[in-house]
Amino acid sequence: MRYKHSLGSRLFDVFNYGLMLLLIVITVYPLLHVISISLSHADFIALGEVSFFPKGFNMKGYQIIFEKPLLYTSYTNTIMYATVGTLLTLLLTSLMAYPLTVSKFRIKKPITIFLAVTMFFSGGMIPTYLLMKELHLLNTFWVMVLPGCISAYNVIIFRTFFQNIPSELRESAYMDGANDLTVLFRIYLPLSKALLATFALFTIVGHWNEWFSALIYLQDEKRYPLQMFLRSIIFTQQGYGSSEKATELIQNRQINPKNIQMAAIVITMAPILCIYPFVQKHFVKGVMVGSIKG
Amino acid sequence: MRNQTAAATGKLQVKQPGSQRHNKFIQSFWSQKFLYLMVLPGFLIVLVFAYFPMYGVLIAFKDYNVAKGIWGSEWVGFKYFHEFINNPMAMRTVKNTLILGIYSLVFGFPAPIVLALLLNEIRVLAFKKFVQTVSYFPHFISTVIIVGMLKEFTSLDGMFNTIAGWFGKEPVNFITEPQYFRTLFVGSGIWQGIGWGTILYLAALSNADPTLYDVASIDGANRWQKMKHISLPAIMPTTIILFILSVGGILGTDFMKVMLMYNPGTYETADVIGTYVYRIGLEGGRFEYSAAVGLMLSVVSFLFVLATNRLSRKFSETSLW
Repeated sequence: MRYKHSLGSRLFDVFNYGLMLLLIVITVYPLLHVISISLSHADFIALGEVSFFPKGFNMKGYQIIFEKPLLYTSYTNTIMYATVGTLLTLLLTSLMAYPLTVSKFRIKKPITIFLAVTMFFSGGMIPTYLLMKELHLLNTFWVMVLPGCISAYNVIIFRTFFQNIPSELRESAYMDGANDLTVLFRIYLPLSKALLATFALFTIVGHWNEWFSALIYLQDEKRYPLQMFLRSIIFTQQGYGSSEKATELIQNRQINPKNIQMAAIVITMAPILCIYPFVQKHFVKGVMVGSIKG
Repeated sequence: MRNQTAAATGKLQVKQPGSQRHNKFIQSFWSQKFLYLMVLPGFLIVLVFAYFPMYGVLIAFKDYNVAKGIWGSEWVGFKYFHEFINNPMAMRTVKNTLILGIYSLVFGFPAPIVLALLLNEIRVLAFKKFVQTVSYFPHFISTVIIVGMLKEFTSLDGMFNTIAGWFGKEPVNFITEPQYFRTLFVGSGIWQGIGWGTILYLAALSNADPTLYDVASIDGANRWQKMKHISLPAIMPTTIILFILSVGGILGTDFMKVMLMYNPGTYETADVIGTYVYRIGLEGGRFEYSAAVGLMLSVVSFLFVLATNRLSRKFSETSLW
């Protein structure tokens, strides 16, 4: 349907497109700025002359970061937490959601209530910390992976998704002698690939960005995830973590502490930034799946 | 009733001999053994990591003694709650939490709605897609990075001060000044969330019947009128549900972000209940007192959700449950 555009309507379009362009600039500029600073010469940074593009090429910030052993351990740790955490999340959530779609499952209702309660009440930070201590989970691998791996919210989303799979498929599999585990792994999960992919992405990003539970539950630097490494660079007195070489370079004005900080940010953000354009539509799908109330 | 449905849907039940009740129970349990087995690991994890801490909240009413355990420790009643209420430093955190929550709601809630309505008016679909893709990205940036960037932008030689310099203002280290904390917190929150927040509204808008717009055009409605009478009603249910959730979450400040942003110099406006619980409890080791503070926060938050849901059900058709 075509209709004439009045002058007001056109003016609005101009204004609207301008606003959207402004939004893009406001969103993209900080990211560009971070990259530019990480690559710029110390003097230009000190003068505040760096904006969209690097001024005077300088890789020393990256050098300092790449010389820190903690970068490698924390990168590896984050990848491990993300991998194991995501696999556990998908596996346990599917296992828990499937029985809730079987209408004659005897404890379906109690389990649903058992889960729903956790959406409104929680013990809070302190009792949870004391529990971890009691269970000797402090400073272990599992404290980063187990507690968050199942949430009522996710189970409900999975259940809603599974409910859209015709139950005749299940019934006929029973006829062929399949049990429920087989039905889940051979029929339900292969039909839910989109759901699994979306959730895997969200969980991976969640682990990638996690730092607070590490702050509370981990004392050993060797177990720190990437974000804790980044935090130790940005949020310390000197502003670049401890490094004699950095101190020396800064005194010689060869490098600005911001070089190091921004390089650390770039290194942390790079993987997400690189995969984002290819997977962003899955993220959007994930929100839509989640918004369908069960 | 149950037997009827069982007989109608399940072939396994059909084979059951119609003997005693408890025999039947065992049989049905056995026939569903895989289902029980599948629920078990998730059940245990939720039990341990979600329910045990709820029991652990009891220490808020106890003089906690590690050797005696939670249950064995002395009861002290509402001692810690009184202490909190009578502590002016602590009450400051309540005030800050509320103000921060209200600012976030007032400025942060409408922002995605406005953006969604504006995006909906863009007719070049490729451009619309592009704006969406770009604006969603900040949602995936970690809090540590967000605050790191914020520190850079607000530093003495950062961009904010450069701009302020154009207007002849002296450079300020914004992040260490208490009067700027709320603006920075809410502003960076909007920067991060405005795009992502539009998704549900855009979905609701795309569900609006396109013929409505056509009919309205024929009747001579202009774009503003169409937005007001077609687009806005289309997103109303979504808006109400998200509003309930936001009001319910008003006390659920992202205290982890606050923790990265604040310092003793900005506690005056920045210290919220969550950061207070962390400092007093985990850094200071006063577990009982801080557990009591945390408990109060979650009880009041829950009441907020209940109240807003009730209000919404009263005044509109939409509610969470």
